[in-house]
Amino acid sequence: MAIITRKKKSAKKQRAPFSQRTWSLGFLGLAVAIYIFYTYIVPHTSDGFQSQIQTWFPPSSLNEALVWVIAALGLNIVVGYAGLLDLGFVAFWAIGGYTAGWFMSGFFNQWHIHFGSEVANAIPGVHLSFWAVLLIGAVICAFFGILIGAPTLRLKSDYLAIVTLGFGEIIPQIFVNGEDIHGFNLSNGTKGISPVDSIGIFGKRLGPFDLNYKYIIFVAMAAIMVFISLRLRGGRLGRAWLAIREDELAASMMGIPLMRTKLAAYAVGAISGGLAGVAYATHVNGIFAERFQFSISIILLAMVVLGGMGNVWGVIVGALLIAWVNSTGLPAAGDKFNSVFNTHINFPSYTFLIFGALLILMMLFRREGILPESRLKLIMHETDDESGNEQPHDEISEEEDL
Amino acid sequence: MAGVTYKTRQLRRRYVERSFATIAVAGGSFWLLINLIKSPSQFTEVTFTGLSNGILYALIALGYTLVYGIIELINFAHGDLFMLGGLFSAHFITLWFNQNHPSGTGYGVLLLCLVAVMAFCAIINVGIERFAYRRLRRAPKLAPLITAVGMSFIIQFVGLRWNGSGQKTWPSLLPAGNLKFLGVRLPYTTLISFLVTIPVLLALTYIVTQTKQGKAMRATAQDQDASRLMGINVNRTISFTFGLGGALAGAAGLLFEQTRGLTTYNLGYQLGLIAFTAAVMGGIGNLQGAVLGAVIIGLIQGWNDGLPIGLGQQWSNTVVFSILILLMVFKPTGLLGKPMTEKV
Amino acid sequence: MALDSAPVLEAKNISVEFGGLKAVDDVSFVIPDRGVVSLIGPNGAGKTTFFNVLTGLYKPTSGFVIYDNEDITGIVPHKIAEKGVARTFQNIRLFGLMTAEENVMVAMHSHLKSGIVSTIIGSPQQRREEREAREEARALLEFVGIGKTAGEFARNLSYGDQRRLEVARALALRPKVLLLDEPTAGMNPQESAVFVDFVYKVRDEKNLAILLIEHDMSVVMKVSERITVLDRGTKIAEGSPAEIKSNPRVIEAYLGKSAEVH
Repeated sequence: MAIITRKKKSAKKQRAPFSQRTWSLGFLGLAVAIYIFYTYIVPHTSDGFQSQIQTWFPPSSLNEALVWVIAALGLNIVVGYAGLLDLGFVAFWAIGGYTAGWFMSGFFNQWHIHFGSEVANAIPGVHLSFWAVLLIGAVICAFFGILIGAPTLRLKSDYLAIVTLGFGEIIPQIFVNGEDIHGFNLSNGTKGISPVDSIGIFGKRLGPFDLNYKYIIFVAMAAIMVFISLRLRGGRLGRAWLAIREDELAASMMGIPLMRTKLAAYAVGAISGGLAGVAYATHVNGIFAERFQFSISIILLAMVVLGGMGNVWGVIVGALLIAWVNSTGLPAAGDKFNSVFNTHINFPSYTFLIFGALLILMMLFRREGILPESRLKLIMHETDDESGNEQPHDEISEEEDL
Repeated sequence: MAGVTYKTRQLRRRYVERSFATIAVAGGSFWLLINLIKSPSQFTEVTFTGLSNGILYALIALGYTLVYGIIELINFAHGDLFMLGGLFSAHFITLWFNQNHPSGTGYGVLLLCLVAVMAFCAIINVGIERFAYRRLRRAPKLAPLITAVGMSFIIQFVGLRWNGSGQKTWPSLLPAGNLKFLGVRLPYTTLISFLVTIPVLLALTYIVTQTKQGKAMRATAQDQDASRLMGINVNRTISFTFGLGGALAGAAGLLFEQTRGLTTYNLGYQLGLIAFTAAVMGGIGNLQGAVLGAVIIGLIQGWNDGLPIGLGQQWSNTVVFSILILLMVFKPTGLLGKPMTEKV
Repeated sequence: MALDSAPVLEAKNISVEFGGLKAVDDVSFVIPDRGVVSLIGPNGAGKTTFFNVLTGLYKPTSGFVIYDNEDITGIVPHKIAEKGVARTFQNIRLFGLMTAEENVMVAMHSHLKSGIVSTIIGSPQQRREEREAREEARALLEFVGIGKTAGEFARNLSYGDQRRLEVARALALRPKVLLLDEPTAGMNPQESAVFVDFVYKVRDEKNLAILLIEHDMSVVMKVSERITVLDRGTKIAEGSPAEIKSNPRVIEAYLGKSAEVH
C-alpha cells in the first residue's frame, strides 16, 4: 500500500518511516511477548521481582489501559481522521457500559432472558453472552452516534466541541438520575449496576482473576479496531475524511457529502467507545454512573493528540502511556519518591496539574504528537512565524501511510 | 417554474422554525403560568433567585463573549478564573482582613476587595493569554482549545490546593435577612447583587463604547488585519480584552462568595459552561446579548430547579445544556447575533 | 459550431444580494454544450460570486440555475458536483497533505460505491474498485501532464503542477461542465500559451464545456469562443472576442478602473 518515490533526502533528517505491515507485526509481536512474559516468565521469578511487577506493571492496569486504547482508537477516527472536535466521547463509553449492565447482569430481575450465557438458568435478569452484548452495544452506540451527530456535525469546530461536551454532560446525568424515570429504573442511579456477568468463552467463565484471558480478548478487540481504522483509511471513506479534515469546503465541491461522511466517522467512533464501555464494565465488574465524567473525554482526547492525531500506532502508544501513568505510574512513582526522600506528598492529587501542564506543553511545543503523521506535522506548523520551529515544506522521501 | 421549489423550500423551513419557536415559547409560558397560579409567592421568590443567578452569569458570560468576539477562542479556563476570584475574595476578606460580619469597616474592605480581586484575575487572565494563547493564535482551532482545557485543569489544581477537595463555607459581610414585600421574601444579598452588578455593567459599556481602547477592541474583533493596518496595537488590545474579562470574572467571584458563602474548586467548570451557554444564547460576541442570555438562562434554571412543577435541581445541567444544544443547532447566531458567510 | 448547441448550464436572472449590496444583478448566462466561454470584468464585478452560485456555494437571492435540463438552484454543492459541475479555485484549494493521486481519487468519491463494510473486509469488488480508481487517477494525472508526481504530497508540488492537479481533480468528477477560476493567475506568457492549448485538449478529449474567469486578456481573447463581460454585477456585453474587443462599454469599464490589458 505504500507508494515509494525515491527523492533526494533533504538536509533535514526524516524519521525512517515503517510500513504498516512493520508496525502491525511489531505491535502484534509486542502483545505476544507481553503475554508470554506475564503468563510463563513472571510466575517463576523471585518474590521481590514479582512484587515490583505488581507495583509498577500490574496486569489489571495493563488490561485497563487496553480498554482506553480501544476507546482512543475510536476517538482517533473522529478527531484524528475526520478532524471533528469531540469533547463528549464519554457519552458512548457510558452507553456501552450500561448496555453491559442491562444485558449482562441481574439488573432487570423482572425479566428472565438467557442467551449464550454461562450464568445458570435459574438466575433472573437478562443474561446474554459477552459477545452478543458487544454487538448490541455497538448497535446502540452507532444509533446514538447518528442521533447526536445528525443535527450537530455541521457546526463549525469550536461550536461542535461545546455541543459534544454538552452531550457528554447530559447523557451521564441521565444515568445518574436514572433510578426513577417515571417509575422506570434505567440505571440504578448512583448506586450503579454490579456485579456484571463474567465473560464466557469456549465454555469457560473468566473470573476476576483470569486477567490473562481477558488480556487476550482486549488485545483482540484493540487489534480489530486498528484493522478497521487502517482499512477504512485506505479506502474512499478515509480519503473523504482526510479531505474534510483539511478543507471541508473544497471537499464538498469535489462531491463529498459532508454530513454522511462525518456521520460515518462519528458512528464508527461511537461503536468503538461502546465496545470500550462494555469491556470496561466487565473489567471493573460494574457500571457506576458517577465515574463517567468530562475528564474521561479529555483524557481520551489527550491520548489521541499526544499519540499523533490520525496515526493509530501513535494513539496506541499515547493511550497506553497516559493510562498507565494515571492508574499506576504516578502513584507508584510517588510512593517511591516519598520513601526515598521521606516526604508525604500525595502524588495522585497532582493529576490536575500534571495533566493540565502536559496538554499545554504539548500544544505549545509538540502539537503533532509523539508519532506524528508526517502530514500532520505540516498542518500543525504551517502558520509558524520565522521564529517558529520546522519549515513547512519538507521533502518526504517515502510516503508514510497512517 | 422549477426554481420556485427552492424558494418554497426555504420559506417552508423558516416557517417550521418559527412555529417551533412559537410553540416552545407558548408552551413555556403556559408552564410558567400554571406555576404562578399554583404558588405565587414561591414563583416570585424563585424568579428572583433566578434573576440573581442570571446577573452572576452575566458577569461571567461577558468575559467569554469578549474573548470569543476578539479572537474566536472559547476560553475554557474562564469559569475557573471566576472560582479563583471567589477563593481570593474569601481569603482576602475573612483571613487577611478578619472581617466576619456586616460593619462599616466591612464595607470598606469589600470595596477594597473588589478592586483587588478584579486586578488579581485580570492579571492572571492577561498572563494566560500572553504565555499560552498568543503563540497559538493562528494554529488550527484544536490547539488553543486544548490549551484552554489544560489551563482550566491547572487553575482547578490551584483551587484544589488552596481550598481542598470539598466545599468551604465563609461568613458574609452582607446584611442577612430578607426584604418582605407583598408576602414575598427577597433576600438582601440578592438586592445588593443587583446594586453591585449594574454599575459594573454600565462601566463596562462605557469602556467598550466610549474609550479608545474599547473602540480598538471592537475594531480588532471585526478585522484583525485591518485594525493592525490602522495602527491599532492588536496584541495590546487583546491583552486589554483579556484583562477586562478577567476583571469581570473576579467581580463575579467576589459576588458569589459573599452572596452564597461557599467556595469549591470545581465551581468554575459547572458555572462556566452555563455562562457560556448564556453567551451563545445572546449571540456570541455581543455584549448586550450576553447579559440578556444570562438573565434568560438564570431564570430558566431557577424555574426548573425551584418551581413546584419542574424537573428539579438534579436535572439542571441537562436542561441548560439541552438549551445550549438546541440553540447551536437551530440558532447558532443567538438572539442578538449576526450571521456570517464564509468567503471563497 | 459548439455555440449553437443546447446549453448544458443555464443561469436565468441570477441576483445575489449580501445585506443590501447587490453583488450580482439580474444576470442571465448560458454555457453551450462543449463550448469554451469566458467571464470577464473588472475587479469586484461579481464574477466569483456568480461562479459560486453556479456551483451551489451561494444561494442566489433570486433566479435559477439549470443544468442538463434540471433545476439545480440552491442544491447542496456536493450534489451539484456529483451531477457533473466541476470547478477549480482561484487560490488553489488542494488537499495539501494528501498525495496528488489521492487528491484526484477524492473527487471520485461520488462514483465509487464501496460502503463501510465492504471496505473493512476488503471484498473483491472493493479491491477492484480501488484498483480501477487508482488507474483512472494516474491516467488523469498523465493527461494533465503531471503523471510523475502521483505519490507526492500536493503541498510539495510546484505552482504550475498544483494548478494542473486542480484540473485533474476536477476532471475526476467526470463533469459535463468545467469551471476554471482564474486558472492562469501567476503564469508567465509561455505558460499561458500552453494553457490555451491545454483548455482545448481538455474540451476535445473529455467532451465537456468550459467556463473560465480570467483577467489575462491575451488568454481570454485566444481561448474563448464567446466572452461575457460583467461590470458591477450586471452583464454589459456578450459576444465573440472580436466583438468584445471593440465594444466601447467594455473598454470604458476597464479603463475606468485601471485594468490589465496585455
